[in-house]
Amino acid sequence: MTEDGPAVLVDQLSRSFGDKVAVDRVSFAIDRGEVFGFLGPNGAGKTTTIKMLTTLLPPSSGKATILGHDLATEGRSIRPRIGVVQQQDSFDQGLTVETSMDIYGLIWDVPKAERRRRIEELIDRFGMQEFRKTPTIDLSAGQRRRLQVAREFIHDMDLFFLDEPTVGLDPIVRRSVLDYLKERVKGGLTIFFTTHVLEEAEYLCDRIAVINQGRIVEIDTPENLKRRFGSAKEVEFKLLQGTSKEMAAALATLDGVTHQAQDEGSGVYRVTTSSPESVIPGIYRLAERLNLTVSSIYIAETTLEDAFINLVTDAKHAESNAGEA
Amino acid sequence: MNIYVRLVYRNLRANLDKASLFFELVFPLFFIFVQGPAIGGTGLQLDLGGKIVGYAEYLATGAVTLTVINGGTNAGTQLWFDRKNGMFEQLLMGPFTRAQYILSIILATLIIGVVGSLLVFAFAFPVVGAGIAFTLRGQLLIAAALFLGTVFFGSFAITLSVALRSSETFQVVSTFAFFIFLFTSSVFFPTGSAPLAIQIVSLGNPLTYTTDIFRAGIFDALTPLVSLELLVLGLEAVVMFVLAVVAFRRIRV
Ligand SMILES: Nc1ncnc2c1ncn2[C@@H]1O[C@H](COP(=O)(O)OP(=O)(O)OP(=O)(O)O)[C@@H](O)[C@H]1O
Ligand SMILES: [Mg+2]
Repeated sequence: MTEDGPAVLVDQLSRSFGDKVAVDRVSFAIDRGEVFGFLGPNGAGKTTTIKMLTTLLPPSSGKATILGHDLATEGRSIRPRIGVVQQQDSFDQGLTVETSMDIYGLIWDVPKAERRRRIEELIDRFGMQEFRKTPTIDLSAGQRRRLQVAREFIHDMDLFFLDEPTVGLDPIVRRSVLDYLKERVKGGLTIFFTTHVLEEAEYLCDRIAVINQGRIVEIDTPENLKRRFGSAKEVEFKLLQGTSKEMAAALATLDGVTHQAQDEGSGVYRVTTSSPESVIPGIYRLAERLNLTVSSIYIAETTLEDAFINLVTDAKHAESNAGEA
Repeated sequence: MNIYVRLVYRNLRANLDKASLFFELVFPLFFIFVQGPAIGGTGLQLDLGGKIVGYAEYLATGAVTLTVINGGTNAGTQLWFDRKNGMFEQLLMGPFTRAQYILSIILATLIIGVVGSLLVFAFAFPVVGAGIAFTLRGQLLIAAALFLGTVFFGSFAITLSVALRSSETFQVVSTFAFFIFLFTSSVFFPTGSAPLAIQIVSLGNPLTYTTDIFRAGIFDALTPLVSLELLVLGLEAVVMFVLAVVAFRRIRV
């Protein structure tokens, strides 16, 4: 295996189904040991991209190099080095959890002693003790998903594709699966990850690509995406004295405030701003001047979800504008 | 361990349809122990190219090849289970090629078909016993009949299973095809004395050849036709196998 160079290098990769362009000239690179998130609305082309990169689906055009091997011609060298959790379920219906992991390890040619050792570790780490002897067909959806992720760790791999792996997992299992993935990344694993749960992407991913209608809109770190595309922040506060007309009028004159409103019922003031660090002292100054007391104040953080929604809807606007022009 | 050994073992462990396997082994017993002796009791005897056998013996050998066609259906079920359960794609992303995967299904089917036939044959043995001629030539014919028959019906089932995505249609169509193959073959009666239409259909029916060759092997009743039948069955098996591979390559992922 080639140890140097990126784990994944994608150049102008496209895939069409008839007239439908599912993936449209995407290009990106993933470093070794990196967790690369692939986010996008339903039908954006995430699964299609994964199917191409895992040699399941031939691209319509473009090139890719996976772990140093050409995707078009060296699929047989790529497949033994990757693991895949598909978006769809995958299980051997005639077997129990434990046996299905064992036989999966067998077809990957993992020696028996090693299989035993890994199965014990994975059953423990993925909390599958209780249903280790249950036939896979009788598992709950989340249990089956857990098995599907765990099973992939029976064999060695350098690059792991996970297409919405946490769907159906309860919050505790979800967290432990993400932590396990993080642990393996420390050991050198490279991860390609899709999800619709943006906190999860933020927790796990070093970089995120946002794909929409087959095209990559942005690639950046979660922090930068939030900073660049997150909405202005919202500052909420309450006055001990309830609402006051003077306060509302004074807020409008405050520098950096783009929008403000107050809720008569609860007495909460909402101030939208891109610079809360200067607006908050301003609010205290105004209160002092008007002889009012701020009883509580807090900043609602921008979330990645915010940035994502802005990115995707902006892209849609851009698209429809281009269409009209 | 060899890649085919691993894949075949997995197919047998994960995808063996135990209910239909049971049916496969029990169904022929009715012919061997009920219908054969009952009709044979009328004194009916048949001429297999110079060798006269009783109807009970005739039908018992037919019941063995019936297992071949039944076993072949398993190939379709294996593939069908894998597609339904998402294992098809999973395996194609594993360290295998499509060719290795489909061959592993055929190999697993061969094991099911041949082992099944031999089991049924063990039951049929007391009935057929007297007439059996153990010759090397006969055993080669038996092996060829079981092998080519299973490859044909296995490939046929794979093609059906690719073409028919829903489980119900696959079940209905394959059961229907099963009866067509069965009743236009020489399993139950010598096709030579059947109505012309059935005779014509039976000439294209690989189960006729499988059964004729198998019988010829068991009773060492060789006619000049047997080598021709061997050729036709071989051709049919190859063509069906190629069709199955083509169908398989077209599966959408
Ligand atoms: N086999 C196929 N035949 C025709 N169109 C397809 C096929 N597979 C995918 N598509 C289309 O390609 C587009 C991208 O689909 P894809 O499954 O990659 O989306 P996705 O980003 O994974 O969505 P989701 O978040 O819903 O999983 C969709 O418009 C889909 O309808
Ligand atoms: Mg998808």
